[in-house]
Parts: sequence; structure tokens; C-alpha cells
Amino acid sequence: MAEKWRLLDTGLKDAFYNMALDEAIVIARSKNLVPNTLRFFRWEPSAVSIGYFQSMEEEVDVEACNRLGIDYVRRRTGGGAVYHDRDGELTYSIVISENHPLISRDFQKTYEILCSGLVRGLRLLGIPAEFKPINDIVIGGKKISGNAQTRGMGIVHQHGTILRDVNPKLMFTVLKVPSEKIRDKMIKSVEERVTSIKSYLGREVTFEELKNALISGFEEALNIELVPGEITDFEERMAMKLKMEKYSTREWNFRR
Amino acid sequence: MLVLKAEYKVEGGKLIKVQLEREDNKIKAIKITGDFFMHPEELIDELEKSLIGCSIEESAITEIIKRFIEEKGVILLGVAPEDFAKCIVRAGGSSG
Repeated sequence: MAEKWRLLDTGLKDAFYNMALDEAIVIARSKNLVPNTLRFFRWEPSAVSIGYFQSMEEEVDVEACNRLGIDYVRRRTGGGAVYHDRDGELTYSIVISENHPLISRDFQKTYEILCSGLVRGLRLLGIPAEFKPINDIVIGGKKISGNAQTRGMGIVHQHGTILRDVNPKLMFTVLKVPSEKIRDKMIKSVEERVTSIKSYLGREVTFEELKNALISGFEEALNIELVPGEITDFEERMAMKLKMEKYSTREWNFRR
Repeated sequence: MLVLKAEYKVEGGKLIKVQLEREDNKIKAIKITGDFFMHPEELIDELEKSLIGCSIEESAITEIIKRFIEEKGVILLGVAPEDFAKCIVRAGGSSG
């Protein structure tokens, strides 16, 4: 019998709530209030997230974001700045107890194991995805998914993105580039280094189709059964609190 | 106060950015940013503090960071203590 995990699909939410809910699920899991969880989510409005150690001012063109109505938020995980397009990207998070047999003490190994669900899911769509250390998934060397992990409270939390479609031009409008002169060059280089489901398959894959493939991918790769569930009241309350007191605050988002 | 800056991309790894203030070839203030992974994350502030007063010299800085990491059980991914040290020395030697 495969172990049962909770499957959440929280749809379109703002950046602050999205990051707050991830942490709320971690807290709930640490108190044993909820089972291991896979969550899918999207971003409305589109948003930029930066890694824990990054500087908001250095990485993000805050003025451009304000002008375009794009949110910006600091993650609780390390890694780089990511533009989360409302319509181009699917985000997932995994919250799992650290003492689970799938979890290695080795972070690198754990990335590979947790990413194997994504790899398997993408292959089900006919995409020859591969895990690429440290924390990427690539197709023929081009990145299609970035992932970030942290641990604390006895819980492993990994989240990451899968690109359905990519818009390098908008990406570099909201992310800071060293100078205008090299913006075009960087857009070109992103086109060479990054791909999406749409550009690989040459067709649109709907969010539903993508999620279904990833659900099967995770179930097969991790030998689990994903049971659709709901956010608990505890998680919702905690998420609202963390949104208000942490993720939407200037203190948190501009702390580095 | 003159803020010195440098960046260092680890081959096959992550990017480190350093901003620092220098006084008598020692670190007076420092901020380390970048897209690396360090666990537990919140120890970055303490790591920065531990470098204040240290000579801007690669082996001395490497030693402090190594000791910090060992004592606190810190895990780094995509960067090594030597990489931080290289970036710090690069910043310390820059003219702003």
C-alpha cells in the first residue's frame, strides 16, 4: 500500500499569501496536524520571488514591478530570483517530515529524490527531463524547473517552478540587469539556457494536464498516493498571520 | 563611509555578492548576498558578525568561516568557505 499524502491545489493567490501558506503548512506539519503534503499553486498578480540571501534592491527593479502591478517577495529558501508569470508558470511545494525514509541527510541527494517526481511527470508528457545538480531540472541542458529547499522544525520544505511558457523580455523588465546595453544580450542568453513545456513540445499544455502528469509522476517516483485535501483552519489562520506579519512587510522583503 | 563591492561566481555553483566597509585593512561592516544555499539560513547574520574586525586576508577569512560552519553545524550548497573569502578579499581590494 502506497503511503497517503495530502494534495492541495490552492490556485491563484498573491505572492505574500503563497509564501505564508508554505510556511504555515510547515508549521502545521511540525505539530503533526497535517500529513506530508504536495501543493500546487500559481501567482496573481504575477510576482518576483528572491532567495533568502538576496538583496531586493540589487535583484529586482522595484519601480518596474510597481508600475506593472507585479508583487515582490523574499522566500524562506535560498537560491535565486524568479519571475512567476501568472499564466506561464506552475509552482509546487512539498512539505515532508525530515525523518521520512525519502529524506537523506545529504541536501543534494534529497533534491534529486524530491525532484524525481517532477522528472517522471514531465517524461509522462513526452519531455525528456533530467535532474541537474544543484537544484535544476533540464531538457537537453536547458532549464525548465528551478527548486529550493530548506529544513527546520523537523520538516523538509522544498518548492519550485515548472515553466509552461517563458517570457524573457518581461523577466528582464522586472529583474535587474547590470545595464541596458546588455539587456538584449541577457534575453538572448536566457533563450539559450531556459526552455518551457510549450517551446519543447510546440503545443500548449494546460495547467490541468500538467498537474495531472506531475501527480502521476510524484505518485510513481515516490511510491505515494496523493489524496486531494483541504487547508486546515489552523493553516489558513497561520497563513494570514504570516502574510500580515512577515511576507508582506518591508522589514522582511528588504532585510538584505 | 566607502562601501566596497565585489561579485564572485563559483564555477559549477552559485553567485556570491559582498558589500563591505574597510578600516585599517580590517572588515568594519559586511553584507553577504547571493543565490547560494546555507542552512540554517538565519545564521547568515551571525556569520557576517563573526567577520567584523577580521583582516582582509584570504586565509584568515577562510579560517573564520570554516570554524563558524563547523561549530554551528552549517551546511553550504553551491559555495564553499574559500569562495566567500575570495569574494570578500576581492571586495576589500576594490576601490568602491
